[in-house]
Amino acid sequence: MFVYFTRRLLYLIPMLLGISFLIYLGLELTPGDVISYLLPPEAIADLKPEELMAMREALGLNDPFIIRYFYWLGGILQGDFGYSLASGVPISQLVLDRIPATLELSVAALLFSTLFGVILGSISALKRGSLMDNSLTVFGMIGVSIPEFIFGLVALVVFALQLEWLPVGKRLMPGYDSYWDHMPHLVMPAMVLGLIMTAGVMRYTRSSMLDSLNKEFIRTARSKGVPEWRVNFIHGLRVALIPVVVLIGFRLPMLIGGTVIIEQVFQWPGVGDLFVNAVRGQNYPLVMMISFLSVTAVLFASFLIDLLTALLDPRIKLE
Amino acid sequence: MSDAKIMMRRPTRLDKKFDLLREKTEQGTLKAASSNRALSKLASNKLAVLGLAFVTIMILASVFAPLVTQYDPQKVDLRMMLKPPSADHILGTDKIGRDVFARIIYGGRISILVGLGSALGAALIGVSIGAYTGYKGGWWDSTFLRISEVVMSFPQIILVLMLVTILGQSLMNLIIIFTLTGWGSLYRLTRAQMLSLREEEYVQALRAFGLNTFTICFKHILPNALGPIMVNITLSTAMFILQEAGLSFLGLGVPLNIPTWGNILNVAQDLRILQNYWWVWLPSAVTISLFVLAINFVGDGLRDTTDPTMQG
Repeated sequence: MFVYFTRRLLYLIPMLLGISFLIYLGLELTPGDVISYLLPPEAIADLKPEELMAMREALGLNDPFIIRYFYWLGGILQGDFGYSLASGVPISQLVLDRIPATLELSVAALLFSTLFGVILGSISALKRGSLMDNSLTVFGMIGVSIPEFIFGLVALVVFALQLEWLPVGKRLMPGYDSYWDHMPHLVMPAMVLGLIMTAGVMRYTRSSMLDSLNKEFIRTARSKGVPEWRVNFIHGLRVALIPVVVLIGFRLPMLIGGTVIIEQVFQWPGVGDLFVNAVRGQNYPLVMMISFLSVTAVLFASFLIDLLTALLDPRIKLE
Repeated sequence: MSDAKIMMRRPTRLDKKFDLLREKTEQGTLKAASSNRALSKLASNKLAVLGLAFVTIMILASVFAPLVTQYDPQKVDLRMMLKPPSADHILGTDKIGRDVFARIIYGGRISILVGLGSALGAALIGVSIGAYTGYKGGWWDSTFLRISEVVMSFPQIILVLMLVTILGQSLMNLIIIFTLTGWGSLYRLTRAQMLSLREEEYVQALRAFGLNTFTICFKHILPNALGPIMVNITLSTAMFILQEAGLSFLGLGVPLNIPTWGNILNVAQDLRILQNYWWVWLPSAVTISLFVLAINFVGDGLRDTTDPTMQG
């Protein structure tokens, strides 16, 4: 177990190095002077041109590309992500302010899609070939074909603008700040984001469940006289859930990508919103750093998922 | 198994099929199997045929757009702003008086071009690299495997938007960006196919004949891997059309002066339009969804015909 753990962790390092190199290449290729986001803007404003030159020398900006890259990487490792071009605020602070909102949205969507996907998928598998199963399959197909923002727009029109059950967007109304005040705002974006992923989880649970129901241990359980619901849900579903957990790991990039668009539809003040605005404003350092952080998050999350599956399923060989 | 035993279990779809065949044989009306088994299998999949028909109609309509509608999708008519659907403008007009139906038909040109162009571009890169390095193995193979892992670990939309900021916003750039970000899955697929196919005996025979690597790889092995690759290209087209729509909805895809399905939806960010003028955005939303659904049906149908193990 420990060997497996360290090996997976060590494997992350070349990946992250490669990605950070690409990101730095992008930063260098984009127009604008690198120094403009390495220093706080007020500090640059106070400098005379010759002092700026000296500063460039001191920061190593006149060194060869590879050296500059390592300087930059060293800064990242110490939590220095540079400054936003638009506001001059440190990027780390901008992102940290937005993370709770995005986390709230993604966790809610993940829970929703996993719960519904697993339930619908097991029903589909148990009633295989029935009308219910076929219509769920068709719904799943429709679900993956409609872009998430169209779901969002239709939900906005129906539930917020026509029926007025739920607020139109944003995370909080001014003046309300208790945790429960989020909930009405959270429902729609989380449901819409979750709905797209539900289809995938459902399909996967169905085939995984069918697979496990054909195994010998299910026959053994039946022949022991275990009640049918126990056979299906305790013996069958438990094994079927392992690949579904893996699927959640695969869904993470999609989840992060989904928040980018959904946050725009519902004006949800998360990292995705920050990212799109940075792209619109040609705020290169902010765009690059958010990309870098999101990939890092995905890589670490998939590492954790790998560990979790290894713990859940003793059949996975831990060489 | 005896007949009585068969009667006891619930008849499956296959049983019904055989019953039908038996009936036909007894009546002597059973026709000989048609020449191409894959084609006839695809033709018997109703959803796939329906999807194919819809896709064909939409492609023809957008190619021959001037014959379908007499309106210019770009012509501004300020006397006709936000008019609801009528006999003149069957889907009404938008904020600056442009005919919505004409914009959808002409928009199809660009949206389909982006989807198909990017999918073919991604296939060109992914398949040629995957086929060659998958067959050769060794150093090149592991290098490209690492590169594809790096590319694929990015959430797609974030990578696309990052490249949009670096390269700038234009139609050509968008296709290039989609190609650069989307080749990974086709590369993986082709490589996996090559890894198993290169162990076949006919490959050993070809090698013994002294054929060069390129000929063996692209002329003799690749055609055997084309089925799953075609399926993947079809499904990638659908995915790229969805991505174009999402990006254009954000105003970051194809430049806004070119009509595409996504660009038509861009106005729906305005709540007033969203609530009161459904005909400006809903038809385009429905078109995208139906088109992508149709492509997915075709892709699934193709998968069933080319790969019997994927049926379930």
